[in-house]
Amino acid sequence: MAAASGTNDLSSEMELDAFRRLFPLSFHERHLLESIRPDGRPLGRARDTSLSLGAVASANGSALAKIGCTTMLAAIKLEVMTPTVEAPDEGCIAIDFHMPPICSPLIRPGRPAEVAPVISKQLSDTILSSGTIDLKELCLVSGKAAWMAYLDIYCLDADGALFDAALLSAVAAFSHLQIPVVSLNDDGRIVLVSEENGGSMKEKEPVNKEKIKLKMNSQPFSLTCILHKNYILADPISEEESIMETYLTVVLDTNYQLVSLNKPGGPGLASTSSIQDCIALAQKRVKELQQILSEAISDMEVD
Amino acid sequence: MAGKPGAAAPTYSPSTGHRKKRPTIQTDSEWVRPDGRGLHQCRPAFLKTGAVNSSSGSAYAEFGNTKVIVSVFGPRESKKAMMYSNAGRLNCNVSYTTFASPVRGQTPETKDLSSMLHKALEGAIILKSFPKTTVDVFALVLESGGSDLPVITSCASLALADAGIMLYDMVASVSVSCIGKNLLIDPVSEEESLQDGALMITCMPSRNEVTQMTVTGEWSTTKINEAMQLCLDACSKLGKVMRSCLKEAASAPQD
Repeated sequence: MAAASGTNDLSSEMELDAFRRLFPLSFHERHLLESIRPDGRPLGRARDTSLSLGAVASANGSALAKIGCTTMLAAIKLEVMTPTVEAPDEGCIAIDFHMPPICSPLIRPGRPAEVAPVISKQLSDTILSSGTIDLKELCLVSGKAAWMAYLDIYCLDADGALFDAALLSAVAAFSHLQIPVVSLNDDGRIVLVSEENGGSMKEKEPVNKEKIKLKMNSQPFSLTCILHKNYILADPISEEESIMETYLTVVLDTNYQLVSLNKPGGPGLASTSSIQDCIALAQKRVKELQQILSEAISDMEVD
Repeated sequence: MAGKPGAAAPTYSPSTGHRKKRPTIQTDSEWVRPDGRGLHQCRPAFLKTGAVNSSSGSAYAEFGNTKVIVSVFGPRESKKAMMYSNAGRLNCNVSYTTFASPVRGQTPETKDLSSMLHKALEGAIILKSFPKTTVDVFALVLESGGSDLPVITSCASLALADAGIMLYDMVASVSVSCIGKNLLIDPVSEEESLQDGALMITCMPSRNEVTQMTVTGEWSTTKINEAMQLCLDACSKLGKVMRSCLKEAASAPQD
């Protein structure tokens, strides 16, 4: 191609950073020819992931997830609500994803990122449809009081694969969640049980002895892959996402069942074989993430 | 929203049944600080630069329970609607997470804080070094444990230094609360809610110049002088801590 040879001529004269900024697509494609990416990863490998639970002391459950440079902070605060008439035994989960201006140069205060409500809805749908949390566990007094869990996820640094990091932090925050001990007041309000109150309050059964943890069924984990020509790149960085626009997100649970598959348009087309390759990569990733999550949980318990 | 739609019914946070009675403060009694510090002792500060990779410069500050991240972007192109200006512009924005305060969703006036941050920093930045462009300073308060604005200001100046923006000096900020006859430096939220007066000083320690001073509440002249002196001493110590943080970051091996 004339264009490629044109850039090839320039590439011998130009500095690496300048070439990367001016011809990003050729820069990345030159790497893909060697089956590697600019940061040295093979095509199917995700970035280093780390997880830390209990980052926010004032919340009932929280987690900080880092995939490469992408950082997400998730926190859950519990409040009491009256359950609906149709579902008197069920609590409620409200999931909100925020991208504050600190996370990326493209976001201005007062003008929320376009991608934030999309990811927010995706997260909401994924977590609820995966059946990870049984809403009946959030019930306090049938028909009168139930927990409303407000899950807020903040992106602190946006460097690609935002959905993956957000989902990981949400799942980790739920596994760290501790429901406080409460009892029913004489006025019909729920109050926290503190040591000073003693036995003067009427004790209610659900959370009597100690702070309990939420029981989670199989947890969902995801992997986003970029489809570009014949290549499949797992866990893209933001530079890759901006130049190669077609991506596919696969969400699997710990039993390797498919929870959701999302390919939102894009110029590239996904054949059945590439979808199956992505699912295979996602399966490997689920194993890695499960390992990381269980290590983080056991680290917390040791403390 | 999960569960059934239309769950717009108000939710409440289960607080303890007995409200904590506001402790009657005898005017001549000694105040005991909830975290066991001395009256003139600041909280230990944890400062780190380079927290956010996507920004030109960033810093994370943790003073006790107050945790703040500040990102600096720029100098970058000013909005087209702005007129030409020989000097650079500064744009500040402060926001709180929903879980920053103990009661969900109850955030202080962030517009007020944003404009105060702007006033505190603009005296320290050499605006002439980046004409026609804007430097954006965005702060996110992750957890609000008292004395928020001083922590935001100090963290912002560290982030500006990390971004390589030319400054006349580091900007350090400390606040003092007055409860009865006691002067408490670097108050926590509980102390701030009981205070009779507050004084905040933002200064450039090495140049001995004050960029911003805010006094609210009841103060006598002697008290103000004493409080100012406390603040200035604390600011110079904080300035040294900030400089050593920058030196460490600069001398750390590049990966």
